[in-house]
Amino acid sequence: MIRFILADLRRFGGGALSVVILIALSVALSVAVTLQERAVRLGSARAAEKFDLLVGAPGSETQLALSAVFLQPAPLPLMSGKVLAKLAADPRVALAAPVGFGDSSFGFPIVGTTTALISALSPQLADGLPFSRLADAVVGADVPLKTGAEVKPMHGSVETGGETHTQIIYRVVGRMAPTRTAWDRAILVPIRAVWGLHGMAGAEAHAHEGETHGDEEPGHAHGQGDEHPAGSEPAGEHGLPAHPEAHGPQDDDEADEHGHVHGHVDADAPLDEHFDAQTPGVPAVLVKPKTIADAYRLRQEYRSETTLAVFPAEVLTRLYATLGDARSLLLAIAVGTQGIVIAAILLVATMHIGARKRQIGALRALGAPMRAVVILVWGELFVLFLAGIGLGGLIGLVTAQLISARLTAATAVHLPVEFAQEDWRLAIGFVVAAAVVSLVPALGALRLSPAAALRS
Amino acid sequence: MLSLEINGLEMRYPGLAAPVLAIDRLQVPAGTRLCITGASGSGKSTFVNAITGLERIRHGSVSWNGTDLTRLSAGGRDAFRARHIGLVMQDFHLFPGLSAFENVVLPVRLARRLTSTEAQRARFLLDVTGIARPQQRIETLSRGEMQRVAVARALLLKPGVIVADEPTASLDSQAGEQVSELLVRLSREERATLIVVTHDPALAARLDRHIRLVAGAIVEDKEGVQAP
Ligand SMILES: Nc1ncnc2c1ncn2[C@@H]1O[C@H](COP(=O)(O)OP(=O)(O)OP(=O)(O)O)[C@@H](O)[C@H]1O
Ligand SMILES: [Mg+2]
Repeated sequence: MIRFILADLRRFGGGALSVVILIALSVALSVAVTLQERAVRLGSARAAEKFDLLVGAPGSETQLALSAVFLQPAPLPLMSGKVLAKLAADPRVALAAPVGFGDSSFGFPIVGTTTALISALSPQLADGLPFSRLADAVVGADVPLKTGAEVKPMHGSVETGGETHTQIIYRVVGRMAPTRTAWDRAILVPIRAVWGLHGMAGAEAHAHEGETHGDEEPGHAHGQGDEHPAGSEPAGEHGLPAHPEAHGPQDDDEADEHGHVHGHVDADAPLDEHFDAQTPGVPAVLVKPKTIADAYRLRQEYRSETTLAVFPAEVLTRLYATLGDARSLLLAIAVGTQGIVIAAILLVATMHIGARKRQIGALRALGAPMRAVVILVWGELFVLFLAGIGLGGLIGLVTAQLISARLTAATAVHLPVEFAQEDWRLAIGFVVAAAVVSLVPALGALRLSPAAALRS
Repeated sequence: MLSLEINGLEMRYPGLAAPVLAIDRLQVPAGTRLCITGASGSGKSTFVNAITGLERIRHGSVSWNGTDLTRLSAGGRDAFRARHIGLVMQDFHLFPGLSAFENVVLPVRLARRLTSTEAQRARFLLDVTGIARPQQRIETLSRGEMQRVAVARALLLKPGVIVADEPTASLDSQAGEQVSELLVRLSREERATLIVVTHDPALAARLDRHIRLVAGAIVEDKEGVQAP
């Protein structure tokens, strides 16, 4: 029986192959959409896991979450440093780490923060030590820099015509274990180095005790995607200002001969991770509350006129809803395609049966039982369906894996392509539908008497 | 061996006023070698369809050794034909992609497992019909060889009757001669009744009872070997 089916399929090789490809492509579309949507959802949820609560200046919640979780370059307003100091001192807070963006090196974002965040992200460093001097840097697992390598920070990025800071050259002292988040692509440096580099008052806060600074009013910033040509960048373009003149006359005494003002950075200065009211502004503070109740209370408290508090996971959930809509649309398209494909297959099958009425009539005339004829016609179509579904699943899986790999390469966020329970239900559904659809021409083949079938 | 008895048979097609075939009474004793002749459209193939159960019979009865085909369902007729009737058709209805041997056993294989006795008999029949290479792909055989494979297939299950509809019509005279000789010889050796529809005088001459149809009616029924 199988041999006869195969011999028959070989005879219609080209047609059979195109039917298989047709089915495979439509199945691949839905498989890829399903897997990819799940990969993005799971991957980003896992990436957000480490970031319980984010506090930043009022603005877009989504932007705040995306910038901190995915280190996406974006304009973030600065928030008063006092908030950081207050959070750091709060007994309900296990960890409050500042996050300062704006610079990059070799295309990797440089993030100013504290050793506490490094321990939170990677309790055990893969290599080296956390930073202990102002010019030390710890790199994420995906940054191809060895311990001892030099990192010259560039304001903004190469694409936006960033300008290299000359006052400091960081030296890599450690490497984090892989976190499978965007932070695997980050170069972490002491926040005070970032402040100092951008000439933000407060870098030497302890030397100017009691002085007031203009940075408490949020400095507005534009993203790195900004189109300003090099050299004409407006003040305070990025997460942190490039040139401190943006902050007003109080910094004039630090102007260099180009009229630019740069902060003094003492590369060997010891680490100071104590924050107080004079602490300069930061775009975001990462907070690990001690309990869930604390988390909700803190979020409530820091949702105010001057600050914004978000659970990144919650923001992402809202984004997934949008993603989910896109998925539903794509799946609807995929299902529509499948409908069309099934109709096309039925058409092909019906024509095929028409052309084979004689063969079917002859088989019955020669003594093949009806059951055999039904199994034969049904089996041939079903084999094609199965091959198409199998091939389609494979193509869909490979496609999703390729897309995930590309996204991971670009963002360092690990996007797991994996099957779930519901997929098997879907697959079984496909197979059952294929089995039922294949039955239509098979039963049609029996309508005629063998004599009538032979005559055609 | 099967005997045939027909009573009040009428085959009609929608849109045709007169029946295509009308046989009031016909008896064919077991072991007869019957020849049916008649002009094109006289109802010969319709007769074959009726007696082999390929077409449903609405009027009259057709019985083989007392088994009335009109009492059987379509599936029942298929099963009866499979078991008792060896059918040979003008178009050989062999299946490309399979070997000669596989073609001979295909109807059985589609129904159930082939027994080793049947496999042996298939090889024996292919040998008897002069097919030297049973594993040869069917589409590479000559037309005469193809019809001989079809004869072997018809005989596999030792049918009580062999029914052949124009078995030599698409063959040249030499190949036709071989097939004719084979049909007559094997029906005798295998002890099967033989019913042949043919225009071929050479084949008709080998048979011993001749019925001529005109417009679906029997106009002549002669015993003895003679040319039509
Ligand atoms: N399905 C059908 N519907 C209508 N008319 C039919 C049908 N089948 C056969 N006929 C008619 O019945 C008559 C007898 O047909 P049949 O095939 O039995 O002739 P035949 O004697 O076998 O002719 P030939 O020698 O050409 O094979 C013909 O007139 C044919 O047109
Ligand atoms: Mg005919």
